[in-house]
Amino acid sequence: MSVTKLAYYPGCPSDATAIDQDMSTKAVFEKLGVELVEVEDWNCCGAAEVEEPELVYALNARNLAIAEKEGLDIVTPCSICYYNLERSNIALKADDKLRAKVKGIDSSLDYNGKIKAKHVLDVFVNDIGLEELSSKMSKKLNLKVAPYYGCYIGRPPETAFDDPDDPDSMDKLIELMGGEIVPFSQMKTFCCGGPLMMTRSDIAFEMARKILDTAKSAGADCIALACPLCGMMLDGKQADIEKALHVEIDMPVVYITQLLGLALGIDAKELGLNKNAVDTKEILGKVV
Amino acid sequence: MIKTWELDPNFKEEIMKERGGEHLTACFQCSTCTIGCPITEYVPSYNPRKIIQMSLLGMRKEVLSNPDLWVCLICQTCTARCPQDVRISDLLSAIRRIADKEAEAGNIKIDSSRPIFDKAFQHQLEKYGRLYDIGLAKEYYPKREGSFFKGMMAMMNDYKDFGMRMFKKGKMGPKAMFPEKVKDRAVMKKIFEEMGEK
Ligand code: SF4
Ligand code: SF4
Repeated sequence: MSVTKLAYYPGCPSDATAIDQDMSTKAVFEKLGVELVEVEDWNCCGAAEVEEPELVYALNARNLAIAEKEGLDIVTPCSICYYNLERSNIALKADDKLRAKVKGIDSSLDYNGKIKAKHVLDVFVNDIGLEELSSKMSKKLNLKVAPYYGCYIGRPPETAFDDPDDPDSMDKLIELMGGEIVPFSQMKTFCCGGPLMMTRSDIAFEMARKILDTAKSAGADCIALACPLCGMMLDGKQADIEKALHVEIDMPVVYITQLLGLALGIDAKELGLNKNAVDTKEILGKVV
Repeated sequence: MIKTWELDPNFKEEIMKERGGEHLTACFQCSTCTIGCPITEYVPSYNPRKIIQMSLLGMRKEVLSNPDLWVCLICQTCTARCPQDVRISDLLSAIRRIADKEAEAGNIKIDSSRPIFDKAFQHQLEKYGRLYDIGLAKEYYPKREGSFFKGMMAMMNDYKDFGMRMFKKGKMGPKAMFPEKVKDRAVMKKIFEEMGEK
């Protein structure tokens, strides 16, 4: 295994709505023997709300520069943070003028293009590798899982690390843990609606419901995902969706880091599995 | 009906000067973007191909005041499928930024709360360097509803169940009442001054 140390970019929801994702990410990397060094004094990546590309580049130049000083690639469990970090990285690497302009704002934004930003899923499947992961697994997940990828794992092309229409990195990981993938292809990369939650919740709720319904009718025990905004929509808001749309769903939603943690034999509490909004007890009973 | 005397022949260039708008003229109107777009199912009028066509024709005012601009999810599905590499997701963002400037200047009215939300979000980053949910909600809801009182009512309505749920799961405690701040806040201010919307 080539990865031993990475800079960790937690993202804004990491100490609140996605604390379970943060806990499980840290626990999993520790178990795998990969040291995470939090990006010192990191700032927000700009999420989906900062539309000015140069503002996104400047915000992320600071994060990238901090990790670069440590000589470490950045890993993040959030798909949007990953997209913003890596697209900034690509833009800054390609454009000397842009780099100079950004550096001119403040010396702390002096980034030289020497590192990469990565999504946790990419690190697990492509850097650490399935063989290595398999050798460390001690538990089997007797679970039927709907793998949900959302937007920034398979697109846009320059930052994608999986297929845009039928990604399978999470599928492979779940099967490796003993899980069964339910038929879910048509929903894998359908947006969760999160970007419209605060301005058009009617649309956002319908979109999330479609994903949840599909998983349910496919007979899934849970949905697995890899982004805190998707987690907020599908798990955090699930009860609000049920109420607003007069439906009953009751579909557990877990982060892929939580599932991987279980397979690695880590205690459920340490993975924050008592913090998911929809109860996960039934899932835990199927881990043997 | 297109009124030719209202067409703006410079609109194309205006968009193409923006980052993300560069590939506008590569579009050959195949509709692949629109067929695959998830929003069309919920907003029947939504049509990115048509927005591009109208932009190419110079229908500046119609494009900039179209409320459909503000329901795009930035999901990048269109970008991934476009055979001409038009980068529609980024292109729509470029058009939204022009629309926002025009609205700020009082030249058009935008029928969406999305610009208010995006700005409230950015204000948190400028002040604290990280997202402060409560600060965001306290700015967004009153501005959207037009009064402090109505805003607080709307916020309660959206958040009372959710807040309690998160609290019970230990995801939102007293700590969430206060902003997480980066230490180097001076640099955040500088970044927004240099690169933010002017
Ligand atoms: S897919 Fe591309 S080329 Fe086809 S209409 Fe959309 S933007 Fe134009
Ligand atoms: S980025 Fe916008 S226009 Fe493109 S597919 Fe997604 S919602 Fe539709």
